[in-house]
Amino acid sequence: MDTLALFNILLFIPLVSAGIIALFLRRGGIVAAGVSVLAALGIAVVSFMILFGWNGEPLGGDHYSYTWLEFGTYQINLGYYFTYESATMLAVVAFVGFFIHVFSVGYMDDDQNKGRFFGGLSIFMFSMLGIVLASNLFMIFIFWELVGFSSYMLIAHYWDKDFAAAASKKAFIVNRIGDFGFLVGIAWAYHYFGTADFAEINALIASGEKHAVTGIGLLLMCGFLGKSAQFPLQVWLTDAMAGPTPVSALIHAATMVAAGVYFMVRIFFLLTPDVLEVIMWICAAMAMLAGFWALGQSDIKKSLAYSTLSHLGYMGTALGLGFPGLAIMHMAMHACFKATLFLCSGSVIHACHHEQDMFKMGGLWKKMPITGTAFLFATLSIAAVPMFAGYYSKDTIIGAAFGVGAETGNSAYYGVWALVLIAALTTSLYMGRMFYVVFLGKPNSEKAEHAHESNLWMTVPLIVLGIFLSLGAGWFASSTLDFKWANGEMTAMLPTDATTFMMDGYDVAEDGSHAGDTAHHVDKPHHGYGGGFTAAHHAIDASGQKTMLEGSSFAMMLLGFIFTFFYYGLGPSKDKLQTQLPGLYNALAKHGWFDDIYDWYVAEVQERFANILATLDQLLISGLLVRGTAGVAGLFGMVSRSLHVGNIHGYVYWFLAGVLFFGAFALGML
Amino acid sequence: MFSDFTLLLLSIFIPLSAAVVLFFGKSLGNSGVRLISAIGFMLPAGIAVYLWMKFNAQENLIDGFAYVGGCDLGLRESVGITLLLGLNGISMPLFLLAGIVGLAAGIHAMYSQAERLHLYMGLLLVMQAGLMGVFCSIDIFFFYFFHELALIPTFIMIGLWGGEGRRAAAMEMTVYLTLGAMLSLLGLIALYGQTGWDTATGFSLIGLRDYFAHHTISEAVESNIFALLLFGFGILVSLFPFHSWAPRGYANAPTANAMLHAGVLKKFGLYGLVQIAAPLIPHGALAWNDWIVWLALGNILIIGFVTIAQSDLKLMIGYSSVMHMGYIFLGIATMSVVGIGGAVMLMFAHGISVALMFVLATAVFNRTGTYDMKAIGGLGPKAPVLAGFFVAASMASIGLPGFANFWGEFTIFIALWENHPWAVAPAVFGVVISAIYGLRAASNIFFGSQTKAFTDSLGHREIGDITLAERAPATILLVTLAFIGLWPMGISQSIQKAVEADPVYTHAPAKLAERDNAPAINIADTEASLPGGQSL
Repeated sequence: MDTLALFNILLFIPLVSAGIIALFLRRGGIVAAGVSVLAALGIAVVSFMILFGWNGEPLGGDHYSYTWLEFGTYQINLGYYFTYESATMLAVVAFVGFFIHVFSVGYMDDDQNKGRFFGGLSIFMFSMLGIVLASNLFMIFIFWELVGFSSYMLIAHYWDKDFAAAASKKAFIVNRIGDFGFLVGIAWAYHYFGTADFAEINALIASGEKHAVTGIGLLLMCGFLGKSAQFPLQVWLTDAMAGPTPVSALIHAATMVAAGVYFMVRIFFLLTPDVLEVIMWICAAMAMLAGFWALGQSDIKKSLAYSTLSHLGYMGTALGLGFPGLAIMHMAMHACFKATLFLCSGSVIHACHHEQDMFKMGGLWKKMPITGTAFLFATLSIAAVPMFAGYYSKDTIIGAAFGVGAETGNSAYYGVWALVLIAALTTSLYMGRMFYVVFLGKPNSEKAEHAHESNLWMTVPLIVLGIFLSLGAGWFASSTLDFKWANGEMTAMLPTDATTFMMDGYDVAEDGSHAGDTAHHVDKPHHGYGGGFTAAHHAIDASGQKTMLEGSSFAMMLLGFIFTFFYYGLGPSKDKLQTQLPGLYNALAKHGWFDDIYDWYVAEVQERFANILATLDQLLISGLLVRGTAGVAGLFGMVSRSLHVGNIHGYVYWFLAGVLFFGAFALGML
Repeated sequence: MFSDFTLLLLSIFIPLSAAVVLFFGKSLGNSGVRLISAIGFMLPAGIAVYLWMKFNAQENLIDGFAYVGGCDLGLRESVGITLLLGLNGISMPLFLLAGIVGLAAGIHAMYSQAERLHLYMGLLLVMQAGLMGVFCSIDIFFFYFFHELALIPTFIMIGLWGGEGRRAAAMEMTVYLTLGAMLSLLGLIALYGQTGWDTATGFSLIGLRDYFAHHTISEAVESNIFALLLFGFGILVSLFPFHSWAPRGYANAPTANAMLHAGVLKKFGLYGLVQIAAPLIPHGALAWNDWIVWLALGNILIIGFVTIAQSDLKLMIGYSSVMHMGYIFLGIATMSVVGIGGAVMLMFAHGISVALMFVLATAVFNRTGTYDMKAIGGLGPKAPVLAGFFVAASMASIGLPGFANFWGEFTIFIALWENHPWAVAPAVFGVVISAIYGLRAASNIFFGSQTKAFTDSLGHREIGDITLAERAPATILLVTLAFIGLWPMGISQSIQKAVEADPVYTHAPAKLAERDNAPAINIADTEASLPGGQSL
């Protein structure tokens, strides 16, 4: 089948699913769930048909484009632009998305509003696929807003709860602040480049006709900061955990928040080194800080949410270092293990009757062996234990910062290396803590006492995503490493084009098979700029410190696991840090006081400003002006009375005089 | 069977005749009143949809107008006035808007609990006749006349069926709207005056366009006439700072009246600027360009923050409607094909969405007995379908893609960069402001736990979900928003044709850039000349 038709079907399936559910299945319960899961299956099948049928040539241009709106030369196109980075993203969204849909059937079994939930998931899939395939800035913005809406809707799923109401509102508004910059950036970019099409802008920059502009890049970056919850817009993500756990896994961990990173990778050609440097510092700092903040939460999902922030920080760091391929690789690995962690937490929460406090769990390993094993695998993966998925991407990012520093001699990169290395320590700290507290020791509550393993709907996705992929996702991509599993046969199981970008980034331009970004070749800050995993490893090798780098990352990982083992103990009922060092714990729990500052701003500045303006509006404009008008009329009355013409004829004369006056004014006589 | 011109005539005279029947129809009973009203609203809507569907296939246009026809009322010889009707690409969407919103408002009114229903419906039908007439009049006298025809019932309806503050609101509204109407009338007459009262040219848009295309008048005169039209129309459209009549007026108007006024009648002034003022006297429009931008930013930012401060749902909708006018004025200020296109799209979309918000606000009131958003809370689980409608409508009104409003707003932002790049950021900040008040409203009313005041006021009363009489108009409006949201070409094609054919809109942006004595201010361009092509 024509790939264009497949793209159309891909977008059409979830849209139809959402439409059917919204119109006919609002109270459809399990039927709505069925429609939505089938849609997700359809998406997965069609996606893999596209991936297997693709020859690696970028698909785009007029053939893959429909005009949505046009005035003069201004056109908004619904167009597809399919390249290596979109291939990876599509594989992740389709694959992980499907299994989370399946998990949801089990998790939401006792929910009264299945229709709303599964309809929302379908809208989300539609919007997310739109972002993945979008060929231009206008279109990506449209679907960007739509994922924001589906996120809003799903966070507000438990809508009778005040915290869910507040969290959904916050998520949408904070994202809109990011989109404010994004939109201004789009307007600027469109007028500067004369087009909004990715491929065309890329060609303009590559040919040297136009230069990338830092201002445009920084504005577009605002969209990334909002969606991927980076400083200073990170505050919405932890609150967003108010949504059902599968939503946290799919939208607020694996895919939507990573869409910010994807967007930055997609427009890598129009980001100047200055923009990348800003991204690098923001994200490296967030990787470390959020890792510490995760230690200040007793709610399992909130702690994981900080972990997501930290890992989005890793992705941003990879991007900022100039390795878009590596950023996408970590996105893919993270999607597997973080989705698993959230689904495991969902499985645990479901088994403990919606208890989310880790210190009321404990000893769940024996009661929930499959969930426990999946969680353990994902833990080892996120902490970058060698051979596990997270190891390949995360350790490479850490090493790459050092490698780039060694190559360029710029000590700032060593600072970044230190930040992400400490971030690696925090990963094993909060993950070790979580694993020991939740799964080991003895149950700390009635609910945990009676917990039992979840049903197949939930455990099958855990086995696939957790045990299989959290361990092995890296192997698919690892054929270029020093070691090969099964003689590199693993890679053949996935369409190789889906992993190409992780390995090579935009470097494939060298052999002419990819558009590439030759513009950056002029002033590449370092050798592997624009590349991926391979280029990053070249940088690491070139630094001559490979052993030291591997060793230090490994030591950080071990240190965290060992320290938390002895410090927290197995299955404690209280957070030792909270009792011993309440000051430190509270500081971590406050996560930088951003919420307090923003709350203060909203209540004390924005609200007051709005109220003052509203009062002024009432007083000055409506009061003075209208009374003023009435006053003028009264004055006319007085004048006319004084002229003894206070009758109807007098007003007619006055009126005529006024008309003449205005008429004369209009005709230019006055 | 009928010529298309006859259909245009019918779209005016059917509601008018239905109104006359109803005025004398005290003995009809409610079902009789409803039947006649249904005819009076459905036929114009049907005609509008029919003419819209075949509009793009029309050939033999007269100066861009299709379906043209006229009746000589004996005024042609003496004052150059004929009842000349027709639709062009700009008036077509607005004519359709009048038909659709009219139908929704009509259905809503039919099942409202208004006393003296026959009078209520009669006045509303007079309004409808006027609205259909405004947008299909080519003759400027009738364009104005139909506006007045639609305006007068507004005053009466607020006075008779209005809310608590109706006297003050009606008074304020009358003062403002009369002033606005007077100024714009003077401006229109002055335009005609420029032709030397040439009855051969006539007081029609086609005649005047022809005249002004071949005659130049001094820029000072153009500027003065444009000022009259800008501030006259501006007052009618609640241009900042002449807006204060609008929120309180709408808050006190009966719902159907507010729907028609905020949704359709208010577009009269904008339509006048886009269709008459800017194309005929472009130098005037260029001279006042910066004024429009500054005042429109006042609408967006100042009124935006005022909207945030509202706790009364109806006042909030009224203020948000004033705020959205700012975007449309910005679109007009661009004077470009793209900007005017976006402005007309937003005129259409805003008309539908604000009418929808009024329907839903009334539905909320019918269940809770209050418009005070702080006193409600947790209505969602009790009325989930109403909540769904409300969230969708709020999202549409704050410009979420997938609904019609988005296309207009987005297009205006893009167009604005061309000559006013500095205004883009403050204008776009409006999307954050509207997200704040839009989501706050949805959240306060439908989400979270019930407030104690709400629980107390309910007592043992059961709250039902949205009724059929509320659902029907809401569905008509929401489906229209989503339909154009998915297929914006449905209305943009005709707009595009009309705007691209207008030499003013194709040339004005270059004039604006020239006037600013610099090539389109583009910071990015300047850097190309920096040594070594460094980026900023």
